[in-house]
Amino acid sequence: MQNTNRPQTNNDKVLVVGGGLGGIRTALDLAEAEKNVVLVDNDYTIGGLMTQLDRTFPTNNCDLCTLAPHLSESGRQEYIELMSMTSVRSITGEKGNFTVSVRTEPRYINEDKCTACGACHEQFPECVRFTPGLDHRAPTCMRYPQAIPQAYSIDLDKCEDIEALVNCCPAGAINPDDMAINREIKCVSVVLSPGADLFDPSKLDYLGYSTLPDVVTSLEYERILSASGPTNGKLLRPSNGTQPKKVAWIQCIGSRGIQKGAGSYCSNACCMFALKEAIVTKERFQEDIETTIFYMDMRTFGKDYELYLERAKDDYGVRFLRSRPHSILQQLGSDALTITYTKDDSTEQHIEDFDMIVLSTGFKTSEQSRQLALNAGIELNDSHFPVTDGFNPVATTKPGIYVAGTFESPKDIPDTMVQASAAACMAGSDLPAGKKTARKENNITTERDVSGEELKVGVFICDCGDNIGGVIDVDTLAKRIQDLDNVAIAISEGHGCSRVSMEHIRKTIEEENLNRVVIGACSPRTHLSKFQELIRKAGLNKYLVEIANIRDQATWVHSNQPENATSKAYDLIKMAIASVTKAQPLVDQSLPINKNILVVGGGISGMTSALRLADQGFQVYLAEKSDTLGGVAKNIFKTLEGDNVQTFIADLTNKVENHEYIQVITRAIIVDHSGMPGMFKTGMQVGPQMFYRQIEHGVTVLATGAIPNPTKEYALESCNAVMTQLETQKVVNQTPDIVKKWDNVVMIQCVGSRIPDNPNCSRICCQTAIKNSLAILEINPDARIFVLYRDMRTYGFQEEYYQKAREKGVIFVRYSKDSPPSVNPAGNQVEVTFTDVILGQKVTVTADNLCLSTGLVADNDSSEELAMIFKLPRTADGYFLEDHVKLRPVDMPVPGFFVAGTAHSPKLIKESISQANAVAARAQTMLARDSINLGAAAARVDSKLCASCLICVRACPFDVPFINADGYSEIDPAKCHGCGMCVSECPAKAIQLMQFEDDKILAQLEEIFDKVNA
Amino acid sequence: MKKFEPVIVAFCCHYCAYTAADMAGSQRLPYPANVKIIRVPCSGKVDALHIIKAFENGADGVYVAGCLEGDCHFKNGNEKAARRIDYVKKYLEEIGIESERLTMVTMSAGMGYRFAQTATEITEKIRKLGPSPIKTAITQ
Repeated sequence: MQNTNRPQTNNDKVLVVGGGLGGIRTALDLAEAEKNVVLVDNDYTIGGLMTQLDRTFPTNNCDLCTLAPHLSESGRQEYIELMSMTSVRSITGEKGNFTVSVRTEPRYINEDKCTACGACHEQFPECVRFTPGLDHRAPTCMRYPQAIPQAYSIDLDKCEDIEALVNCCPAGAINPDDMAINREIKCVSVVLSPGADLFDPSKLDYLGYSTLPDVVTSLEYERILSASGPTNGKLLRPSNGTQPKKVAWIQCIGSRGIQKGAGSYCSNACCMFALKEAIVTKERFQEDIETTIFYMDMRTFGKDYELYLERAKDDYGVRFLRSRPHSILQQLGSDALTITYTKDDSTEQHIEDFDMIVLSTGFKTSEQSRQLALNAGIELNDSHFPVTDGFNPVATTKPGIYVAGTFESPKDIPDTMVQASAAACMAGSDLPAGKKTARKENNITTERDVSGEELKVGVFICDCGDNIGGVIDVDTLAKRIQDLDNVAIAISEGHGCSRVSMEHIRKTIEEENLNRVVIGACSPRTHLSKFQELIRKAGLNKYLVEIANIRDQATWVHSNQPENATSKAYDLIKMAIASVTKAQPLVDQSLPINKNILVVGGGISGMTSALRLADQGFQVYLAEKSDTLGGVAKNIFKTLEGDNVQTFIADLTNKVENHEYIQVITRAIIVDHSGMPGMFKTGMQVGPQMFYRQIEHGVTVLATGAIPNPTKEYALESCNAVMTQLETQKVVNQTPDIVKKWDNVVMIQCVGSRIPDNPNCSRICCQTAIKNSLAILEINPDARIFVLYRDMRTYGFQEEYYQKAREKGVIFVRYSKDSPPSVNPAGNQVEVTFTDVILGQKVTVTADNLCLSTGLVADNDSSEELAMIFKLPRTADGYFLEDHVKLRPVDMPVPGFFVAGTAHSPKLIKESISQANAVAARAQTMLARDSINLGAAAARVDSKLCASCLICVRACPFDVPFINADGYSEIDPAKCHGCGMCVSECPAKAIQLMQFEDDKILAQLEEIFDKVNA
Repeated sequence: MKKFEPVIVAFCCHYCAYTAADMAGSQRLPYPANVKIIRVPCSGKVDALHIIKAFENGADGVYVAGCLEGDCHFKNGNEKAARRIDYVKKYLEEIGIESERLTMVTMSAGMGYRFAQTATEITEKIRKLGPSPIKTAITQ
């Protein structure tokens, strides 16, 4: 039925509570899948914690730049109703029919009138409240340049002269009589992602946080480093305003049950957070500063995080001290901070002075969130985090209410993004099927015809905070550019991607009647489409803009050589100007989308994605290489938390095999692939007879998994007493009688992981060792278990199980990479010799079972071939490489491809399921549309020049060109892939590739060399 | 005389080397400022004429960076590019330009380090070769 009217019932919405990064992602995923969302946040602007971070690991990007596009996406989405300064009072009803009562606090500013001019802020300049702990309170408040809503907000209690404040606003937007509003929202499902608070260390007097100004939390340190922070990005000691020479980080403050009031869990992200801060500090001050991290275990278990740790050690010279400092003191008359600590190999006390100390404070749920959980009627665990389904971490104890992000459990940004998308998938599937809102007609400005106009190029150069502005003088550069031919205006533009700057650029284009635009900014890969959209709004064809990538290619690369960076940025902008002056208006091609989905890999991840998408009515083909579904998880019996994996797989397999919209194809080997996003064709050889079969689909999901590391270390193959964790698990679960005979069990961690051949951490092995240790002790309480580890990486709530294992007597002994344990088979037993750090001597244990934590490795045999067939990038260790490690963790760089589960990197079952659900949500954002935009990059033949020589016909990898009835080569723009191979081969130069025309390339070449010719 | 600073043009495929260059940037891996990148949709799009034009305009070195073997987004553009580079190298020798000034390299999108390393190596190689004969002719 074609129903273009909005359904009469109000109950077609999902409510998202919390406008941090996770909440924004959930709302965007739902909105892009054309589902209605109400996003409420109790803050005056959305963005949450991430807006306060200066840079994020592992790319050390500036956050504002990566987050900003998301925020403005969020602001303009017609399916999202945004309610800021709004809190949830109660949630009643049940799945499919919730009634949520909310209260919106007065902003005292009319958002429609406020132009974010900043006049109120300028005249009440006591400073802007940006930070916890480092704040100066201002009556008006806007948190960061790219804020949404863009309007300022006023704290009336802090204002002494209300009338003066009202009068200072040129737009008349300030309304001191604004009142709070109570409302009720009907919705079918709710996603709670209110985030978490950070641990407050002020009660721990031995750390001196409340008395010593130079002791700061990691978030405060981040604000000090930030260009938008209280010191404008200068690293200064709060006590005396000098630059520190020695900075120390102390880990696990408020985590792992260390201090009074601390959570019993590991806060997951702090190790990487401290590493990033130390690296950024070293990057900026190099030899002038010393950085030291006091830690218990470095928990860098994420994708490629171990490499980041190695870089901090080897490339940046960050010093690592395994120690829990005793205290931070300041001697009378001294401004140094003294840390007293012992190392783990002796009882000797060390004393060392530092200028600044950063406390790596962990996450905890806020009082407000606990109240929210109570209002929503969902259960919390002992640590006050929501109780969730063992196999679906976004599902709470109450159907229809989902959680995501740090409110669910402590986690970093990529994991938050995954859960946010997963929650969007779950909450979206509670909406009645087929309830889609018709898209409103956008009233787009008509496109201006610029043909025949004199060239007027506008050049806008971002400073991107310190990323560009910290290396080169943007204003001076703009002045030099201004003098170039065809340039009508050249100005510096701050954060070009912020709302204010975008609006300013748009206005400037209109006012100056510009007909070409160059942005001196970051990569066109991430920002071109945003600026294309902007100039389109200003009435220009979207192909009349070029980005000069002066950040990624100049200021980031030549940060220590400002002269080189400046002259290169100048050259890059000149090249972009030359290129854009040759640009012509172009029209995008579009084609109908094929809504079928191909899922490659029938493990838990693949099956989960398939099931979610099929439940939404999409036809799914599930191709599995082996003859059964289930994948590696078939060898796992229970999770750490005790949930039964086998029953879960059986149930999932049953649902998948019997689903009307899922076709399972086992023994399927992918052999070829063609087409483009929205209209792929994939060929496979199927079954014992290898019949060839081709599937047409619009979306491809890669869930090909990883394999247990096939290492042969420590006599694994030659000695019966040596086995892997997977094999031990099987013995524990199937033949417990054998376990009863074990007196000594030794487990060795990091076998085949964190070594030069396979540098990354396998993430899952520490918790597996704990799980199996506890299971062995359950059967045989007298067994002595030794776990030889390098760092115990029991992140999040796994830490509680680690503590439990210690309480039960499991002996944990650390070994270093340089002196691994040695193994000597002795009959049915095996002698394991290792150095005990505390005793300072070698110990030999005769073990009945030596259990190796071998972890996972990428399935290179299949992933290499698939990467080649599908043209997808992989990491150095063979896992599929996502589009953006932080913000797009399940999207592949090639549109239409998504990755889930251990094909992405090693992870737990529940984490794989979250990713699989996230993939389903992301895929739906694409499948919601009926057509796919192919862009304008297609080859065009000039028939007057064509000699019908057939070279293009032979050069095209996709057989698109043909000689038409008129005797000339013809290329169908809808079929053309836009590679330009025919263009470079055509001897008559009769073909041009739109967007990459020859004259644009030649113009760029001219610009590089004009110095030589001059 | 001013120290010789070679001018090097890198034609970079959008799907691999251009992305690798972004990655080198985000990892703050330094490489010589001599390298100027021109973004192309595929290394197979790089015209022999554009390479010659670069030298004619005064480039001391040119390289084309495409995807790893078998990884081309458009099936075999990188192989076609490699063949074309071989051909242009011969032509360069004929007109008196050292063929070492032109190179084809391959890398994947994830290889930020390799991008920086390649840019450094090629710059050093060209620096040793000295100014291109064409450039010398122009400036004289």
